[in-house]
Amino acid sequence: MPQPPIQPKTTSLQQAPKLLPSALLAELLERIDTDKRLVVLDMGHAMASTVRFFGEYRCQLNFIDLYAEQFILTPDPELTHSQRVAAMREALNLAPSAKIDICLFWDIFNYLDDAHTKALIEVLEPHISTATGALVINPRDSRHYLPFYRYGIADQDNFMQVESTGTQPTIFARSQRDLNNLVDYFAIDRGRLISEGRAEYLLFENRNIDKTDRSMI
Amino acid sequence: MFSKYKKFISGSDDSSLKSDNKAGIFEPSLQSAVIGAGVTIEGQVISHEDMVIAGEVRGAVIAKNHHIHIATSGIVKADITAKIISVEGTVTGNVTGLERVIITATSNVQGNIECPRVTLEDGAKFKGSIEMNPGEPTQSILPIFPVTSVKKRSSSARSDQIGAKAS
Repeated sequence: MPQPPIQPKTTSLQQAPKLLPSALLAELLERIDTDKRLVVLDMGHAMASTVRFFGEYRCQLNFIDLYAEQFILTPDPELTHSQRVAAMREALNLAPSAKIDICLFWDIFNYLDDAHTKALIEVLEPHISTATGALVINPRDSRHYLPFYRYGIADQDNFMQVESTGTQPTIFARSQRDLNNLVDYFAIDRGRLISEGRAEYLLFENRNIDKTDRSMI
Repeated sequence: MFSKYKKFISGSDDSSLKSDNKAGIFEPSLQSAVIGAGVTIEGQVISHEDMVIAGEVRGAVIAKNHHIHIATSGIVKADITAKIISVEGTVTGNVTGLERVIITATSNVQGNIECPRVTLEDGAKFKGSIEMNPGEPTQSILPIFPVTSVKKRSSSARSDQIGAKAS
C-alpha cells in the first residue's frame, strides 16, 4: 500500500556543510575499477567537496541536479509514461554510449513518485552495466522523517551534507522492500543505518536476484 | 591603466579581482583586456592577453596561453578555451581549461568542463559534466564555431565489465 505524501517543510538559512560518516562508499570504491576512467552520475547539486574528491581520479563527473526539475517541484499527474520518460531523458542528457560506473542517487527517490521513479530507472537502463554501483540515502523505514539536505562526498569514509534552503518538495516515503522492487534491475546489496533516522544503501546491477525477500523492512 | 576600465565592470567587486595567487581568481594586469559591462560581442574572440569579460559574448572565446575571467556581470554564451578560466558570472557553453578552471560561488555555469584541475566553490550553480584527468594537461581543443545552443553532453566512456559481488 503506497504511503501518502508527507507534508514538506521550509527552511531559509543555509548551514555549513557537515560530515556524515559512510560505511558503504569505501566499499563501493573497492568494488569498482578506479584505475580506469570513471563515469560518475550525481543526481544532486554540484558540491565543492565532490569535485575535489573525484579530482583525484581520471573521471567524468556529471551533475544532473534532478532536484531542480519541474517534475519534482511542480509534478504534473496528467503526464503519460512516455512524457515522463522524455522529461527524464532530457534532464539526464546522457550520450547514448555513456556507461555509468558510479551513480549517486542520494535521496532522490524520496522526491519521485512511483511513476517518475520507473521513468528514471527506464532511462538509465542503457547506461548501466554489471560494473555499475550506486548509493542511495533513504529513511530507515517509511515512518521516519526525511531531513532536507544536499549531499556530496568528503572522502571515502564520509559524505558531506548541507541543509537545503527553500521548500522541501513532496516526499514519497518507501520501505526498503518497496524501493528495492521499484529500482528493477538494481538490487540493494547492503544497507547501513546512519544518523537522523536514515539508512545508506549500496546498490549493484543484479537482474537475477530474488526480490521477494521478506526480511527487508 | 586598468583602473579606468574598472568602472565599466559592474558587479565585479574589487575583492574578486585581486588574487590569482590563492583561489586562482583573476588579478588584472596592465596587459589585461576588458569587455565592459555595456558591451555585447557576437562572434569569435581570440585573445593574446589576459581578459576580463564583464559584458556579453556570444560565439567563441579563445586564449590558449592566457587567463579568461568572467566577472559577476559577465554573460558568455560560447565555448571558452583558455589556459586558466575563472567564472563569477554566467556561462552557457563548453569550457576547456588547459591548466585550471575555477567556478566560484556566484557563478551559474551550464555546459561541460574539460580541464586537468577543476575547482568548484559551494554555492555555484553548475549543471553539466566535468572531465578531469589530474595526470595530464588537456590536449584537445574544442572546435570553433558560433554557438546556437548548449551541446549535448558527450561521453566516450567505456565501462570495463567487472563482476559485482552482489549477493
